[in-house]
Amino acid sequence: MRNIFTVMKFTMRDMLKRKSFIISTLIMLVLIIVGFNIPNIINSISDNPSMEHILLVDKDNIFEGNLSLLNNFDLNYDIEIADDTFNQIKEKIENDEIDSAIIIEKENNNIKIRYIVENTSIMSTVPEDLTSSLNALYSNIQIQKLGLTEEQLQLISPNFELVLEQTSNEEASGDVFVIMLISIVLFYAIYFCAYQVSSSITTEKTSKIIETLVTSTSPRNIVLGKTLGIGLVGLMQLILIVTTAYISAKVFIDQELLNSVLDMSNITIFLGVITIIYFILGYFTYALLYALTGSTVSKPEDVQQANTPIAFLSLIGFYLSYFTMMNPTSNLNLFVSLFPLSSPFCMPFRVMMGLDNPLYLVLSLVILIITILVIAKVTIKIYSSAILNYGTRLSFKDIINIYKDKKN
Amino acid sequence: MGLILKNVSKTFGNKKVVNNISFKLDKPGVYGLLGTNGAGKTTTIRMLLGIITKDSGEITWNGRPVSRESVNFGYLPEERGVYPKVKIYDQLMYFAELKGVSKDKAALAIENIAKKLKVTEYLQMPAEKLSKGNQQKIQFMTAIIHDPELVVLDEPFSGLDPVNTEILKNIIIDLVKHGKYVIMSAHQMATIEEFCSEILILNKGNTVLQGNLQEIKKSYPANRVQVDTKENIDKYIEGLDLTVENEHDYQYTIKIKDEKEAHTLLDKLIKDGIVVNKFEIMRPTLNDIFIEKVGE
Repeated sequence: MRNIFTVMKFTMRDMLKRKSFIISTLIMLVLIIVGFNIPNIINSISDNPSMEHILLVDKDNIFEGNLSLLNNFDLNYDIEIADDTFNQIKEKIENDEIDSAIIIEKENNNIKIRYIVENTSIMSTVPEDLTSSLNALYSNIQIQKLGLTEEQLQLISPNFELVLEQTSNEEASGDVFVIMLISIVLFYAIYFCAYQVSSSITTEKTSKIIETLVTSTSPRNIVLGKTLGIGLVGLMQLILIVTTAYISAKVFIDQELLNSVLDMSNITIFLGVITIIYFILGYFTYALLYALTGSTVSKPEDVQQANTPIAFLSLIGFYLSYFTMMNPTSNLNLFVSLFPLSSPFCMPFRVMMGLDNPLYLVLSLVILIITILVIAKVTIKIYSSAILNYGTRLSFKDIINIYKDKKN
Repeated sequence: MGLILKNVSKTFGNKKVVNNISFKLDKPGVYGLLGTNGAGKTTTIRMLLGIITKDSGEITWNGRPVSRESVNFGYLPEERGVYPKVKIYDQLMYFAELKGVSKDKAALAIENIAKKLKVTEYLQMPAEKLSKGNQQKIQFMTAIIHDPELVVLDEPFSGLDPVNTEILKNIIIDLVKHGKYVIMSAHQMATIEEFCSEILILNKGNTVLQGNLQEIKKSYPANRVQVDTKENIDKYIEGLDLTVENEHDYQYTIKIKDEKEAHTLLDKLIKDGIVVNKFEIMRPTLNDIFIEKVGE
């Protein structure tokens, strides 16, 4: 046990001192801070970002002099009404007196709206909020002309109250965007941390230090100590990243805007604890599998190829979780939350959605822990024999033979 | 007491790499394990260190079955390796800690051994900045830093220059003086002859020769004579139908079938008044015995 901690401490120190680790963590933190500042950056480089100066020209008096009523609509435009010609508008745009203009004119029996800007790009469209406001204004003018009563008006434009209901007893709630975000962060954190175990083991093998190491302590201590060390560093990195993101969101983003995009009301301490537990268990599942593949190769260039089957398993687990998220009360999603290769990505968001039936939660954890113990047993046995093999990469058949060999 | 291997065998797949090998080290000293590449030396060493399991036989240390935990051993593997990016001092501390040595004791041991091996100046450097020879000395430090009872050295001198070889030799002599048991595998027969009283030669997993080195050598008849003269003696050699193995500046190494041939040659030289500065009848070297036993 003491040696597990010695290996763990050494692995942690080695990882934390690595330039690649320090630089990649710093880049991630900078990207997070910059990402949360994008709205502020856009605001600071734009002179008057919230108010586009637009000129409206009603050539054929279609709105009967009521265009100024658009100012009563909640529009983010500085609206000016004029009778300018196209050439005059062109000159004003070129002289930066206005940003854009709209010319409303009759063509045959239709009303044509011409939106004029200095340059059209692929992304340029006629502003939807303005056209729908013009539409509403025109309808109001025409309705008023008909002389309808208040009651008749309400009959024409009723306010439907939309309510979503279900027949199942299980009710899912929560912001899908937040759930997907957590699921993706969890997947990448588990995947990249676990991958480090494999490359760390192969590095020891290729640098030939392994021979000295296995005579100094048991393969069990090496595998477990290394897995724990890298996992702890990964957890610290994850906590650092999430904390930075949380603080950045609080400091740099307008809280109203943030709440409209991310509904954080379902994020509780319980969910945080469950997420960390599943991160740890999920990490152990994949890290031990990666330890197994890492011990079967002798050259660093073979690591990726050897790890491919495990990468596929993790992707299958993640996508099973991701796609069944759309229908969280389905039996398939329940299965995915119990299946050990996908449960780390699935169960936390079921908890977030309020689908944390204690029985299933405990069952999922028990299945995952048993799976980890089985994988650990197999990995340590294979590692003990495979780690001293310096020949070609061991095939799946070789690995099975090593496992079956009672002498090992 | 000491280390005993009795009828130990190991098979990988269908290949028997070690077949029924037995030897013992019952007193402090250096035991030589010889063999060509692939003879089974490293597998034998790995089995006696408990890194791999034996298929059959018995390996005991002081009467108890050998395991990684039960024997305080040090190992310098043939495959040299260090953590390239980690400071030498940290690596040595790590391995000392894994062997259960306290930090204070480890620090003292590092200081002392580094001084003997003349590597103190490199302790705070990452291993990748050291030459191959110095990296090897660091690995040797790893093998003995915890003051082991049994030290296994697989090719300890390969890649070292004569100065460093001498330094390492002195430390090994020192280990034996301090009552340590050393098993050494080497390709340089001269080194083995210098250190080992007992040897074992392996060929394709089988023991082809073992025992006390001097007794083994005595059991072989004389096979060459060295003669140092002041003039050419080719006509005497040809007259006796002998073969010259080597000659330079009238220093001859001549193959003989038995000692009688050497004495006949000496008689003729003296009779004709040839000045003989040196005349030595020689028994086979370990190198000769090794080639005879394992050469195809």
